[in-house]
Amino acid sequence: MKTQLNFQDADAFYEQLLDAHQDLSAEQSELLNARLVLILANQVGDAKVLKECVAAARQFPG
Amino acid sequence: MAESYAETAYSRGCEFTQGSGYALPEYPFREPPEIASGQPGHHEIVIVGGGITGLTMACALAQYGIGAVLLDEDNTVGAKGASSRGICYTQKSLEIFQRLGIYERIAAKGIQWSVGRTFAGEDEVYSFDLRQQGAFNLSTQPPFINIQQFYIEAYLVERIYELGNVDLRWRNRVTAFEQNNECATLTVSTPAGDYQLRADHVIDATGCHSPFRQWLGAAVTARKGDDRWCIADVRFSKHPPVERHTWIEAPFNDNRAVWQHLMGDNVWRIDYQMAPDSDPAEVSRAEVVRERLVRQFGADCEVEIVWVGPYAYRSECVERMRHGRVFFMGDAAKVVSPFGARGGNTGISDADNLAWKLAAVMKGRAAPGLLESYHEERHEAAQQNVKVTARTARFLRPATAVEKLFRTATLSLARQYVFARQLVNTGRMAIANPYTRSSACEPTGGLSVQNVAFEWPDGSRGTVNDLLRWADGRLLVLVFGSASAAALQRLAGLGAIAPVRAVQVLGADDSPGAAEWIRDPKDHLQGACHVFGHAWALLRPDSYVAATGESVDATLVHAVGRALGTALEEEETA
Repeated sequence: MKTQLNFQDADAFYEQLLDAHQDLSAEQSELLNARLVLILANQVGDAKVLKECVAAARQFPG
Repeated sequence: MAESYAETAYSRGCEFTQGSGYALPEYPFREPPEIASGQPGHHEIVIVGGGITGLTMACALAQYGIGAVLLDEDNTVGAKGASSRGICYTQKSLEIFQRLGIYERIAAKGIQWSVGRTFAGEDEVYSFDLRQQGAFNLSTQPPFINIQQFYIEAYLVERIYELGNVDLRWRNRVTAFEQNNECATLTVSTPAGDYQLRADHVIDATGCHSPFRQWLGAAVTARKGDDRWCIADVRFSKHPPVERHTWIEAPFNDNRAVWQHLMGDNVWRIDYQMAPDSDPAEVSRAEVVRERLVRQFGADCEVEIVWVGPYAYRSECVERMRHGRVFFMGDAAKVVSPFGARGGNTGISDADNLAWKLAAVMKGRAAPGLLESYHEERHEAAQQNVKVTARTARFLRPATAVEKLFRTATLSLARQYVFARQLVNTGRMAIANPYTRSSACEPTGGLSVQNVAFEWPDGSRGTVNDLLRWADGRLLVLVFGSASAAALQRLAGLGAIAPVRAVQVLGADDSPGAAEWIRDPKDHLQGACHVFGHAWALLRPDSYVAATGESVDATLVHAVGRALGTALEEEETA
């Protein structure tokens, strides 16, 4: 799993992500996020990297 | 409520069953000789339970020429009442039944299918055609046949009567069990009185309510869910396509799941997901079932309800498949949800796995230690099947709001993008499970070999099963391509010290060198044995490769020893 910067344009992505949620209900936003997780997971593909990503996401800082 | 479902969990009990039912054969009770003599009989093998697993075990032993006694508590096949239970038999099971001599009857009565379609709401989200998949296309048996389980059981019974060797004892119920260093002792209750049997080996094929688990104190890992289903086996005036149709969210079933599948005699199995924790007696009432069918097929469709059975998700697995003299198999060893037909088919393979090993040990061809590999191999299969079916159960019955959210996301993506269809899990069809941690297999082995065709020396067609029958319970070494004189001599020497038969498998233009040879002009046999080019494959009687390798050397000799539960030593060659 990459922990160093890999975005070509981090600010632009963040903006796109927020824009995508504009005008959506909480329920629609949840669905968008779930769809996005699955779409991105398929881009990664590699089982070991995915496992590390899921574990990392669950590790909330104290 | 959960208790009454447990009692009806896809097996023997059918207190809530409805419908006109099936006419089942009945077999005669004969007074066991032990009752008149007053002496306990002694048998090498006693099989308890005459379901599909116990009968497959009995038939396989009979075919190997091994005697056994089978005890069954009633006098018919199918559950008491008129149950149909399992319906879908995999290629591996069909190959086993071909070897046992009942495949032709199954093929004539059953329905072949290879197309499955999955719907959400009105839309098809996913479909497959198994015939297009490489894993299925080599065998002379089709990917699947659907047929009521009791037909197969009845064919097995007739085949066992034909073969002899196994004493089928109907209306013989085992009521107590104990074992020590000498033997196992079974107390058996019959209409003519009680008696005792002593046995060297006991096969527990009594199903998911196995009394042996308690008698042996066998540890069981179990999980129960709140999901409820209700099967309706029906005949009707509509004729849907011969495909497996699955709805994840069926508009005609309150957006819950539905299965639709054809069996023999034009009977369709429609399996409805019910509301969580619903009452089994209520959901299986004839009027309620009829109403569901009308909602799906329309009021103008004439429906005859043949059989109805409610069941609950249930997942159980014993921690050890062997307890001293007792071997657990089929549902006695593990219970899974029915998705992917991983129940009955696993029991059939359990039986096929243990039968050749027990036969080999009885005939002095293998060491008793080989029997340990039954646990190693079939427990791995059981655990895998529990894992796979639990994943399907979780997709079909999301436990929390977020699990439901991900399913909704998956279904919406599956309508748009190919990749997401793979996430839609309506059941992963049973396969011949690979063995990765067996003491009887090398790391190169542990894979099933499809029943592919080849050419005998006279140009006629043979199949892997013909070779296995010819080997008659011995191991089979297939040597692909031309072989050196030294290799052929070594093979002959191996045949002298171990129960092994060797066959050279030639390409279209190779010249034979060994005494026994066949041709594999399209390399199908080679592909089925998971090898390429000059190679050997060590085939077991259950049509699994124990090992594969390149040159005929000490690795082959070692693999033969391992497959027989012993260490082999070659004799010095002059």
